Amino acid sequence: MSFFYHVGKYFLLLNRVFARPEKHSVYYKETLKEIQKQGIDSMGIVAIVSVFMGAVITIQTAYNIENPLLPTYLIGLGARDSIILEFSSTIVALILAGKIGSNIASEIGTMRVTEQIDALEIMGVNSASYLILPKIVASVIFAPFLTLLSMIVGITGGWLAGIAAGVVTTENYIYGIQYAFVPYYITYSVIKIVVFVFLITTISAFYGYYTSGGSLEVGKSSTKAVVRSSIFILLFNVILTQLLLS
Amino acid sequence: MIEVRNVCKSFNEVMVLKDINVLFEQGKTNLIIGQSGSGKTVLLKSIVGLHDVERGEIIFDDIVFNKLNFKDKKEMRKQIGMLFQGGALFDSSTVEENVMYPLDMFTNLSFTDKQDRVNECLKRVNIINTNKLYPAEISGGMQKRVAIARAIALNPKYLFCDEPNSGLDPQTAILIDKLIEEITEEYNMTTIINTHDMNSVMEMGEKVIFIYKGEKWWEGTKNGIFDTENKELNNFIFASKLSQKIRDLKNRT
Repeated sequence: MSFFYHVGKYFLLLNRVFARPEKHSVYYKETLKEIQKQGIDSMGIVAIVSVFMGAVITIQTAYNIENPLLPTYLIGLGARDSIILEFSSTIVALILAGKIGSNIASEIGTMRVTEQIDALEIMGVNSASYLILPKIVASVIFAPFLTLLSMIVGITGGWLAGIAAGVVTTENYIYGIQYAFVPYYITYSVIKIVVFVFLITTISAFYGYYTSGGSLEVGKSSTKAVVRSSIFILLFNVILTQLLLS
Repeated sequence: MIEVRNVCKSFNEVMVLKDINVLFEQGKTNLIIGQSGSGKTVLLKSIVGLHDVERGEIIFDDIVFNKLNFKDKKEMRKQIGMLFQGGALFDSSTVEENVMYPLDMFTNLSFTDKQDRVNECLKRVNIINTNKLYPAEISGGMQKRVAIARAIALNPKYLFCDEPNSGLDPQTAILIDKLIEEITEEYNMTTIINTHDMNSVMEMGEKVIFIYKGEKWWEGTKNGIFDTENKELNNFIFASKLSQKIRDLKNRT
């Protein structure tokens, strides 16, 4: 029963979030701030994780296809597909759940326990919409760029690691990443990340918005936001893969 | 004028407010006093609509506030200013941005006009040269004054203060009390203050309501509060050694 209660509460919150904004110019400014905070500030961590994951994927693929009958360009092909299909959307989303999710939950949770949300309500502001909508819009707009960045940096990381480890030549790696390329995989990955960041922002905002108590509860809300967001990312990964690739 | 009629409120089947009836007058500082946990904050939050009441009416100048729909309630709230216990300033915004926030949200003034209004409000609460500072960079007393400036930015008709003196030294507390009293007179607002500070009662208790275990136990003025026979109110007022000494001295003379 508790699960359905929370699901109902979540959708009621979303109903308030998607109400007509009081003033578009204020929401626009907030969205730009969120793009900076959630998107641009996440580029560093996404790039670092992607380059190392790309490197590891390439080296692991190379050591798993040691058979001389298998061409080495398959290393590039394997790295490319792993990065585009799974890593740049799902793993990046899990990283973002930790970074953005905890940030959103703790920010909104602190505002709740220090009565800043009450202050907004008293002024006649739809606090749910004002605090959450710009975060959703910003993350949905910027996430595809993070995914594309992750793909480029990941594949580059794989190439560098492949060359450094001596498991593949540049020619074979480039041939591999171009071989039997399906552009739809990028669309699939972008669709996934958009859904995932929507889940991250809304679930984290939900836990932050309904925080009650003090700093301890803010911490708990933040942890719950990351854990629940991660679970829903994994669940929706299965659903979306079945829907989009089958 | 704000009238509270037969208001009841409970949490998890525990009755927190029991049939409260009270009239808060315009242009006066109305005080709600009571022990911690007596229900005074719940009453204040119920009046401003942060809590829904189970029964009764909250009337703002002939408008039954708690029966309004969401849209009308939102409109009505633009006439309400509130000072929260901790100030509730937005941490990520500067002093200027905090005071400008309601103007940004609900007016179409130019940036220069908004800035002029912000400076006017900050000057009124005796805050200068702090426009670009963040709430964490100013003292607790200054935060309260900035919160007052934000509350009066839109010229509200009603001002609510939840324990405006909590966490402040006695001198700063008196300054805040005086400021609220002056602003109430200046703007002819209906001001309701929630406090358990007896200094505040003596400073500005034009009308005092004593809440005890969720009920309105006593109603009067600061002049009548020391002569009351009400046992619970006496216990509340004379809880400290200092106030007991003052009472004894008064009785001797």
